[in-house]
Amino acid sequence: MDIKTLIQSTSVEKRVSDAVNKAHAVQDKLNAMVSFIEPSEQLKTLESKSKDCPFYGVPIVLKDLVNMKDTRTTGSSGILDNYISPYDATITKKLKDAGAIIIGKSSCDTFGMGGTNMTAWTGPVANPYDLSRMSGGSSGGSAVLVATGVVPMAIGTDTGDSIRKPASFNHIVGFKPTYGRISRYGVIPYASSLDHVGVFTGNVKDAALSLEVLAGRDDHDMTSSYLPVEKYSDLCIGDLKGKRIGIIQNVIDSIHNPETLNQFKELCQKLESRGAVISSIRLNEDLMHAFLPTYYIIANAEATANHSNLDSLRFGVLKEGQTMDESMILSRTAGFGKLLKKRFVIGSYALFTENQEEVFRKAQKVRRLIVEDVKRVLDNVDVIMAPASGQGAPKFDDASADQLSKEYLIAENYMALANFSGYPSITVPMGMVDGLPVGVNLTAYAHHDAKLLDIAYGIEKTTGIFNVIKEVTQ
Amino acid sequence: MNYETVIGIEIHCELKTKTKMFSSAPVSVNSQPNTCVNEIDLGHPGTLPSLNKEAVRLSVMACHALNCEIDPLIKFDRKNYYYSDLPKGFQITQQFHPIGRNGYIDIPTDNGIKHIRINRLHMEEDTAKQYHSGDETWIDFNRAGTPLVEIVSEADIRSAHEAMIYVEKLRNILVYLGVTDGKMEEGSLRCDINISLREVGTEEFGVKTEIKNLNSISNIEKAIQAEVIRQTELLESNQPIEQATRRYDDVQKTTILMRKKEGSVDYKYFPEPNITPVLMDPVWLKSIIDNLPELPDHREKRYMDAGLNAYDAGQLIQNKALSDFFDELIKETSYVKLAANWCLSDILANFSTKQLHEKAYSLKIKEMGNMINALGKQEISSKQAKDIFVELLKGHDYHATVKALNIEQVSDQSVLVQMVEDILNENEQSIIDYHNGKDRALGFLMGQIMKKSKGQANPVITNQLLLEGLMKRKP
Repeated sequence: MDIKTLIQSTSVEKRVSDAVNKAHAVQDKLNAMVSFIEPSEQLKTLESKSKDCPFYGVPIVLKDLVNMKDTRTTGSSGILDNYISPYDATITKKLKDAGAIIIGKSSCDTFGMGGTNMTAWTGPVANPYDLSRMSGGSSGGSAVLVATGVVPMAIGTDTGDSIRKPASFNHIVGFKPTYGRISRYGVIPYASSLDHVGVFTGNVKDAALSLEVLAGRDDHDMTSSYLPVEKYSDLCIGDLKGKRIGIIQNVIDSIHNPETLNQFKELCQKLESRGAVISSIRLNEDLMHAFLPTYYIIANAEATANHSNLDSLRFGVLKEGQTMDESMILSRTAGFGKLLKKRFVIGSYALFTENQEEVFRKAQKVRRLIVEDVKRVLDNVDVIMAPASGQGAPKFDDASADQLSKEYLIAENYMALANFSGYPSITVPMGMVDGLPVGVNLTAYAHHDAKLLDIAYGIEKTTGIFNVIKEVTQ
Repeated sequence: MNYETVIGIEIHCELKTKTKMFSSAPVSVNSQPNTCVNEIDLGHPGTLPSLNKEAVRLSVMACHALNCEIDPLIKFDRKNYYYSDLPKGFQITQQFHPIGRNGYIDIPTDNGIKHIRINRLHMEEDTAKQYHSGDETWIDFNRAGTPLVEIVSEADIRSAHEAMIYVEKLRNILVYLGVTDGKMEEGSLRCDINISLREVGTEEFGVKTEIKNLNSISNIEKAIQAEVIRQTELLESNQPIEQATRRYDDVQKTTILMRKKEGSVDYKYFPEPNITPVLMDPVWLKSIIDNLPELPDHREKRYMDAGLNAYDAGQLIQNKALSDFFDELIKETSYVKLAANWCLSDILANFSTKQLHEKAYSLKIKEMGNMINALGKQEISSKQAKDIFVELLKGHDYHATVKALNIEQVSDQSVLVQMVEDILNENEQSIIDYHNGKDRALGFLMGQIMKKSKGQANPVITNQLLLEGLMKRKP
C-alpha cells in the first residue's frame, strides 16, 4: 500500500500499532531492529498537527545511525551500545514535523561500513525471501522492514551502494538523491564525502514524496544545497517517450547469470516499446577496475578520522584504564569489530604522510577521473542503467561474496559511481532470478532527481512490480 | 665563541566572536565550566561543522593589517591526533590553504626599523582546557571550538628584546582591530617561541627548542634571555641541544623541560570533507578592508602630527582604551599636549583599562575638555584644575563646579590694578629686592596677590600688571 492510501484507509492508531506489532513479530526471523521506540509520546504530539502532513501518523524506521533525541543510537556498534542521543538529526526533525511516527532504529553494518549487514553488533539481518541469505547492507534492517511491510518507508544511508544494493535484494525501491539534497546533520557518518541519506519504499512515488519531506538546505550541513525543493511526487508522470536510457555495457559484460541478463534484456525491450530510447554506453574499463580500491581508500581515510571522536571519554562504553590514553585504547579495542579495525588501519595507512601522495591523493585524482567519465556518458543520455546486482542475495556463508573477481569488481561495485559523483541514483525491482529478487539501478546527472524519479516511475509502471510485501511469519 | 640568536614565533590568538568557530554555542567569557558547549563542541556522533562568518571577517582584517596576501577561497583540513582535550579526535585547521600568507610587520629596534616576515596566518578551532589536580584531570569544554588564528613568523627575530617588541606590536595591532582582547594572562593570546643559536657568520640553523605557556609580554623577554644562556652554556661545553618543548619558570628564572620531541607525530592532514570550499565575495572582502579601524602606527603618527612628542604618542597608543579616551577628549580641546598629560597621569591613576574600555565612569569627556581649555588659556591654575577634576570625576559639569568651588577668575583690569597697587604698597622691600635682581621677589609678590584674591586673579594678566607696576617704581 502506498503512503497516501495508507493514510486515507487506516486510522493512526491502527497503522502505528500494526507496524509495531509486526516489527516485533518479524524480529526473531529477521533480527532487523536494534531498538524499538515506544510511540505514545510522538502520537500525543501528533494531535496538535494538521492531518494534511505528508506523513501524518505514518510509522517509519530510522537506520541506527540517525540521531533522535533521548533515544538509543548505537550505529550498530559496540562502543555506542549505551549511547542516548542528546539531539535530533535534521531529518529526524523534518520527519517529526511531517507527522511521521518513528517506531525504531534498524540494524546496519557498524557505522554503515559494510555491504552485508553481517558486521552489525546485534548480528546479521536475514533476507525475507530466503532466511539463509543476507539482507544486504549496510542498510539491511531498513530494507527488510520495508520488504516485509512493517513500515512503508525506512531511512537508509548510502556510501557505496548501501541503500541501492539491499533494495535490489529485497524487491523494493531504494533511492539516494543528489549529494547535498538531504542534510546529513545528526547522521553518524561513514565517509563524509561519499555519505548520502536516502530512503526505502514500496514504490517510486513514495520515494519522491519522502524526498519532498527530507530535502532542503540545512545551515547545520555546509554541503547541503540551496536549490529549491521540488514537488517530486507530482513530477512523477512515468511517460518514457523520448527518454534516453544508456545501458552500462561494462556491467552487462561482467554479469554471468543468464537469467539476470535475460530479464534485463526483456526489460529494455519493454522500455523501448514504451518509447524509451535505449543505447549502449561504456565507461572506461580501467577506471571501473579502480572503483573498489579508490572507494576503500577515500572512504576509510575519512572514516578513520570521522570515528576518532569515539574515545568513550565523553560518551560511549568506557573500559577504564590507568590513564586516559589507556582508557581510550581499551574502549576502542573492545568497542569495534574486526572489520572496522581493518578499515581504520587501511584508512590510516592511506593518510600517513609518507603514503598520502601515492595512496590518498592518488585515489582523489582517480575519483575525479571517474566522475568525469560518468559525466561524459551522461552528456548524451538522461539516465544510465544496469542490473543492481548480478544475482540475488548471497548466502550468509558465501565466501565468494568477497572475492576480487571481475564480476565482483564491476557488477557488484559499480553503483559507487553515484557516490563518487554525488549523482542521484535509484534501484527499483526488476524481477525474480532463481527465486530471489534482483533490481535495476538508474543514475542521472546531479540535481536531476525529479527526472530520475520520473523515469524510475515509468520503469515501475512497465514492470508492474511495486508495493510487494514478503510475509515471513505464516 | 660568538652566537647569533635565531627566533621564530607562533602566536595563537582567540577571536572575539559571539559564537564558536564551527558551532552556534556561545564563546565563553569566564563562564561556569562546561556551560558554553553543545553537541558539536563535544564531538557527538553525527555532528557537522558550520563555518562562523564573523571569524572569517576578523581573520581577513588581521591578514590585511599584517600585510598578508589573502586567499579568497577558504578551505579547511583535519589535523588528526588523539588527546583528551580534543573531542573529535581531530582539529579543523587550515594546513594546506591558510587564509593569509607572506605578510610582515615592521618593528622599531635600536638599529632602526626591522622587517619581520609573517609566513602564514590561518584559522582553526581551540581545544578544551584541562586542569590537573593530583592524579585527576578535569576538562572544561567551554574553550573547545573557540575560533583562533595562528600567526607564524619567519625566523627573522634576533634577540629577546626584538621578540618582545614583535609580540607587543602584533598584539597591539590585533587589539586595535578588535579582532581579539589579546590577554596573554588569560590565554586569549598565546606565544610559542622557537629558539636556536648559531655561530655568527654561519647560515645553517642550530637545533631549536620551543618555549610554551608564556603569560606576559615581559616573560617573553626573560624566558628567551634564560634560554639563550642555557643553550650557550650547552654549546660552550660541547653538549648537544635537545629538540624539546620547554616552559619558563618565573621563580627559578630558567626554562624547564616539558616534553622531548622524539619521532614527531604524523597528523595525517587531509581536506575537511564537511566544509565545502567557500569563495569570499570580492565586494564583501573589499568592504571589510575599506572599513578597517585605525591601526596603532597610523594613530601614533597622527598624534605626533598633532604636536605630541614621540614618547607621549607611544605611551598613549600602548593602551588602546586610553588612546580611545584621548581621541574623544581632543574632540573637545585643541590643547593636545595638556590633554595627553592629563590622560597619562590623572586618567590612568583614576581608571583601570577595563573601566576605560567599558566606559564605566561618570566623568563627562566634554566637561574635562572645558577644564583643559580653561587651563590652556590660563583662566585657571593647575592647582585649581586638580580640585575641579575631583568634582568632574563625580560626573559634575565644569561650569557648575567652578561656581560651586567659588573659583571665579578675576580678569577685570581695574580690580587687578588696584590689587597690584595694594600689594606693592605693602611690600616695599620686595620692590627693592626685585630691582636688585632677586627673581624670587616676583614670585613672592604674585603669591601675595593670589592669596589676596583667594586664587582667583587671572595669572596672565596679573603677572603683566605686576611687571608694569614694578617698572614704574624703579628706584
